[in-house]
Amino acid sequence: MALLQIEALTKSYGNEARALDQISFSIQAGEFVAIIGPSGAGKSTLLRCINRLVDLTSGDVRFAGVSVPTLRGGALRRQRTQIGMIFQHYNLVNRLSVLENVLHGRLGYKNMVQGVLGLYSETEKREAVRILESLGLGEQIYKRCDQLSGGQKQRVGIARALVQQPKMLLCDEPIASLDPNSAKIIMDTLQQINQKLDITVLVNLHQVDVALAYAQRIIGVNRGRVIFDGPPAELQQEQIQQIYGSESGELIFSLRERYAI
Amino acid sequence: MSQRSEPLPRIRVRPLTRANLSIQLTLLGLTLLTLYSFTTFDTRGIGLVEALQDMLNNFRLLLLEPRLRSVSFADLLEALFVTVGLGLLTTVFGAIIAFFLALFAAQNLAPIWLNNLIKGGTAFIRAVPTVLWVLFFAVAAGMGSVAAVIGMTFHSAGYLIKAYAESFEEIDAGVLEALRASGASWWQTVFQAVVPTSASALLSWTFVRFEINFSTAIAMGATAGAGGIGFDMFMASAFYLDLRELGAFTYAILVFAMALEWFATHMKARLGKSRE
Repeated sequence: MALLQIEALTKSYGNEARALDQISFSIQAGEFVAIIGPSGAGKSTLLRCINRLVDLTSGDVRFAGVSVPTLRGGALRRQRTQIGMIFQHYNLVNRLSVLENVLHGRLGYKNMVQGVLGLYSETEKREAVRILESLGLGEQIYKRCDQLSGGQKQRVGIARALVQQPKMLLCDEPIASLDPNSAKIIMDTLQQINQKLDITVLVNLHQVDVALAYAQRIIGVNRGRVIFDGPPAELQQEQIQQIYGSESGELIFSLRERYAI
Repeated sequence: MSQRSEPLPRIRVRPLTRANLSIQLTLLGLTLLTLYSFTTFDTRGIGLVEALQDMLNNFRLLLLEPRLRSVSFADLLEALFVTVGLGLLTTVFGAIIAFFLALFAAQNLAPIWLNNLIKGGTAFIRAVPTVLWVLFFAVAAGMGSVAAVIGMTFHSAGYLIKAYAESFEEIDAGVLEALRASGASWWQTVFQAVVPTSASALLSWTFVRFEINFSTAIAMGATAGAGGIGFDMFMASAFYLDLRELGAFTYAILVFAMALEWFATHMKARLGKSRE
């Protein structure tokens, strides 16, 4: 059975055009899937419908056999613990230390008092430190997050998601604010997480070349609709043009790059 | 070259719009009123030179010859302590109440109808001056320290709710979203993200309010019978007509206010250091 199953997912804001229109696809456990599409195509909204940061208008999202749209309160919080999320702007609490930020990933497992006071068990702390060390941040655990570079902040973001022990990672433009070097480190890290920890990865990307290099499967979205769904090898120039419209001149260049590799 | 013979029209830097015209008319009206009021002063036959001399003499007594007579130095310290206590207590009470209500007044933390309810209520509380709240509560509690504490707490809370809520609203929405995405509850998000992010802003606002409450507490000592240095000043001026003693109280307040300012600056600097 698929880990994530999306059926006829529709999201509209007020009377405006639909942000997402009848989206259906499913993702098997262990896949590395990239969603590509122009800005405003609905990629971010699609990810947020999966962990219900955004409420959907109609359709169904089933994650690990549980229907997400009707979840409320504690059940919704438990569901969210199984899905880690990584953001373009990292979204860390800058005034807190690296370790404190990573431990925020455990809040979903805590009762109110433990969470409010920040009481974490030794096991949880040890696990957080172990994950930070594996991401090369062992030296930085007591640093405040506003002292880190962009690439380091994103790795803290990944650590915060991993400490949840999730089945799946949702990554919303994880490398859009990073320099090429840091971007490569982050994408390599996500690939390792996918292969070694067997965690399913669903990543929104701007860069078609990055999607082609890393993803096992690509979903192309434009104006809230799925235009393409298949392995990178099947993604041809016409489809890229369909996904990105007329602005695809530079993207053809990135396709050539793929064949150069 | 025939155009040159015509005079060029004057260029107005500021066009004569309705707004400009009304401002100019207002200023003219105020000037006329001021001139009129000068001509109608009731000076009761006191000459300007004589009055100035008396005033300077009073300032000399107040500022250059301060000394205590009806109270001892220990009494002065105790009175100052009472006033500081009144200011501090009402600030702490106000801050605690304001913290919890401000969470529900912040747009990014609570539904809009609740924001408007609390913001509307606090706008009303702030619109009425502190002294009037104290007098209002004096009806139930009687004139004295109890009415002063309740009335001043009321106004402090109204002020701090607005200040705190605005600090909360400046928090990056993404951070709150990230904690929600990991399954954190509302209260957990508040204490793990909202409080650490806005702590220094909250401290700043609380200090500002403590300064306000300290000066209000002096006034309350005199007008609402709350005791403290304000009451002693009231006695020295209205009862003993002793300007020298009034001067001593003034200096005591000045010294404390400067110490408070130094302490607040020092605290903020230390917070800033730990932030680096």
